[in-house]
Amino acid sequence: MSLLDALPTPQVSWRQWRPNRVLFVLFSAMLAAVWLLDVVSVAPNRIVSGEGVGLIEAMGWMGASLVSAVILTLLALSLQPSRQGYQVVLVGVSLLLLLLPVGLMVASHRLISSDTPMARLNMGMAYWLMLSLLLLGWIELRLRLALSRRRLLLMLAGVTVVWGLCVMLGLESLALGQEFRARDDEFWRALHQHVTLVSASVAISIVLGLSLTMLMRRYTRCQKIAFGVLNFLQTIPSIALFGLMLGPLAWLAAKWPLLSQLGFSGIGWAPALLALVAYSLLPMVRNTYIALEQVSPETLEAARGMGMRNRQRFIQVRLPLALPVLLEGIRITTVQAIGLTAVAALIGAGGLGAFIFQGLGQAAMDMVLLGALPILILALIADAGLGALADILRPNDSVQSGDSP
Amino acid sequence: MSPSAVRRSLASRGASRAIWPATWFVLLMLCVWGFPYADGLLRVLEPDANQVVYQRASLASLLLKHLFVVSVAAVVTIVGGVLAAIVVTREWGRDFLPMVAQVASLGQTFPPVAVLALAVPALGFGTLPIIVALVLYGMLPIVRNTLGGLQDVDKDIKSAATAMGMTPWQVLRQVELPLAAPIILAGIRTSITINISTAAIGATVGARNLGDPIIAGIVNGNMAYIIQGALTIALLALTVDSLFERLQERLRSRLFTS
Amino acid sequence: MIELAHVTKRFGDVAAVDDISLHIPKGTFCALVGTSGCGKSTTLRMINRLIEHSDGDIILDGQPVAAYDPVKLRRRIGYVIQHTGLFPHWTVARNIGLVPRLLKWSSADIQAKVEELMTLLGLPVGEFATKYPHQLSGGQAQRVGVARALAADPDILLMDEPFGALDPITREKLQDELSRLQARLHKTVVFVTHDMDEALRLADHLVVMRDGRIVQQGSPLSLLQHPNDSFVESLLGGLERGLKQAALTRIKDHMSPMGPTLPAHSRIPAAFSLRQALSMMLRDHTDRLTVVDQHDVPVGELTLRKIVKEAQPEQGKVRES
Repeated sequence: MSLLDALPTPQVSWRQWRPNRVLFVLFSAMLAAVWLLDVVSVAPNRIVSGEGVGLIEAMGWMGASLVSAVILTLLALSLQPSRQGYQVVLVGVSLLLLLLPVGLMVASHRLISSDTPMARLNMGMAYWLMLSLLLLGWIELRLRLALSRRRLLLMLAGVTVVWGLCVMLGLESLALGQEFRARDDEFWRALHQHVTLVSASVAISIVLGLSLTMLMRRYTRCQKIAFGVLNFLQTIPSIALFGLMLGPLAWLAAKWPLLSQLGFSGIGWAPALLALVAYSLLPMVRNTYIALEQVSPETLEAARGMGMRNRQRFIQVRLPLALPVLLEGIRITTVQAIGLTAVAALIGAGGLGAFIFQGLGQAAMDMVLLGALPILILALIADAGLGALADILRPNDSVQSGDSP
Repeated sequence: MSPSAVRRSLASRGASRAIWPATWFVLLMLCVWGFPYADGLLRVLEPDANQVVYQRASLASLLLKHLFVVSVAAVVTIVGGVLAAIVVTREWGRDFLPMVAQVASLGQTFPPVAVLALAVPALGFGTLPIIVALVLYGMLPIVRNTLGGLQDVDKDIKSAATAMGMTPWQVLRQVELPLAAPIILAGIRTSITINISTAAIGATVGARNLGDPIIAGIVNGNMAYIIQGALTIALLALTVDSLFERLQERLRSRLFTS
Repeated sequence: MIELAHVTKRFGDVAAVDDISLHIPKGTFCALVGTSGCGKSTTLRMINRLIEHSDGDIILDGQPVAAYDPVKLRRRIGYVIQHTGLFPHWTVARNIGLVPRLLKWSSADIQAKVEELMTLLGLPVGEFATKYPHQLSGGQAQRVGVARALAADPDILLMDEPFGALDPITREKLQDELSRLQARLHKTVVFVTHDMDEALRLADHLVVMRDGRIVQQGSPLSLLQHPNDSFVESLLGGLERGLKQAALTRIKDHMSPMGPTLPAHSRIPAAFSLRQALSMMLRDHTDRLTVVDQHDVPVGELTLRKIVKEAQPEQGKVRES
């Protein structure tokens, strides 16, 4: 479960008139960031690193004062919060998030003339900071307004879609967009590979993990050894594990031609999948094991007292009660696999990691971004989505918003 | 993700546990100094390669650099994480508690590779990006355990401490931190053990450490290189982890036995 | 001396303590009694400023509590709570020496004080000084708790249901020891409990609270004789009130001089209570007891008729220690 679930729900008393210091700090930092740091940077071409541009130069006096006015309004609202006030702030923050690409369009219009088609616009430090501060503000508002994770997820998805559309359609000069347009086929293919690898490895490790846990519950003596081996696997760095799969698989493929006809070889998806599954097993097994063990003995005793058979007890009582913790394991495994699959690009498994390593190799940072950003977003979405699913499945929690355990 | 279970499965309980750090350390040293002479052994893995011993840098120097990176990240994470957790559990910082808890758990959602890649444009190639990635990735266990440890201290005990006339600082120093110390230490142990193996990916952005032989092995298709890097890192993780276990035992016995 | 004048504590809109006034003279043992949530603990914690009051005045030794530095104030006030609140990572001796150390006593002084208190509370120094709280029984831990509260020799002792978590036998034993201690040390004690028997046993002054207000206060005997309303009466045990009152009345105050008749067969010490006398009569099937002093010399006699008459409401003598 996320760390927040372990905390008491914040006691919000609307009658106490005091500023929300968290939002105050966030918005102050935002104001400082847009004025003091580079908002965007402009590079003449793909390889040369860009030159920073400040707020006034990028947006003009009009734009600069508009941005400042919005942030100042939010700052003022955070001084005397009320429920309505928070809702207004939430709308404001969401608007700012949606308008960020528009700001980029304004900047590109002002800074990049049509006679330099190679010139690229990049988001500067202030832009990134603003983005993360806005997201932090969102988190805070979600807690204050007791919004459910599902709603947050919907909003996040909405913003992502708007951003994606802007980058793909409107922003010709944005470096990320240019990079994307230069290889959009490749991008979709990589995304597809990435998601496929992650889903396949998670699916396999769910099945394997569950069966392994069952075996461990039956043969308790093997338990220590199994956990020992799984723990040891985790101390081996992920890249090494990928590398170590190369040799044996190449040998297998050479030995049985049938395997290689199926696409099984020393490099590519096969070793990646194997390593991913090996790495995913520990969190999977550990959580499944805890999930099944944490069901209270009284409940199981009661089930037995009512005359349920072993199998009935397992399927009707233990499993449903264990489900939220089990999902927690799936969530951890999935998020971890999304990150690890990026590394798998090193052994030719493709996926979004390929952009990262190619970009690093060519010192083309925009390409690195094209790989890293979607991975980050994928991880966040998987985290939030599976978290929301666990919230829904948690018993007696359908009314609550998911902020309280 | 602590490899302690490895040991638990192997060790008979009791006093013999004290020898584990030493054992892992000896094995680690054996790896570091022995691989250059183990040509024949490594040759078994890669009979056709023209070189099987990694020679671009000595494993010892890579080990030191690896340790350096992990230590710097650990110091930053521990100072930052513990301080943040202390601040948000005080009366005046409580507003920030949900935010800090959430941000710490987000930190582990961010894949280290992605963080590493994103840090390179801002910080350039080399050691700095991997330190940033490790700090972010290692923050959660420390913040979570410090928060949990401080919040687990019995309310009655804190209240009694205040009622006896301890200043808030004295309550923190003499009561809360000592009582939370075992849990905080467990968080530090998890964080550092994870980061020892995570640090290897730093080699992809030009940080020189034990990830180097692994990357070289993947690029050249040389299993022997990979084994040298991987085994050294795994043994380093086991050494450090078992040291922490000893430390935890010492702490527990100092706290509670007569 | 502790003086509370129109003290109110509000949490949000709810008044946990509502306009209470209380005068506790120096050396008095004052018990606050009531059901849980009646505001008795809150009242206690306002005295050492663990909770700040919203309205009214709390005066300690002529000064409002707000005028004291809270940390220094608390070092001058002993405090004992239900689950002892002992620090699990410190030895018994270090726990007891806490406040002296905060006050920067010399280590020799601290050690002397700790040993004195341990002896006073029946904790052999050699056996207990180096033990840790988790190695103690509930009763032993609570003795350490009391010793810790007494370490800096405070004039005032605040006790928040100190014996609430103990088994009845240990509880009774500690109550006896507390009265013995109080007879010797004459602290000003404020004692919170929901156990009326405990309050009757220990207190000179009894305060019954309900819903944040004081329902009735006075000496235990006066409450037993004239409960203000049915709530106080039910708290005092309804039909059993008579026996409780008898338990508070000493035989020596009500015996009659030796009569012309032969001394009765059953003998009872003069320091015992009427309740114990009654019990002995029931046991021995007699309506007359011979009262003896501590040397077992007959000093008077007690009859059932006399006890029954004494039980009637009158200006009975308040118990004095």
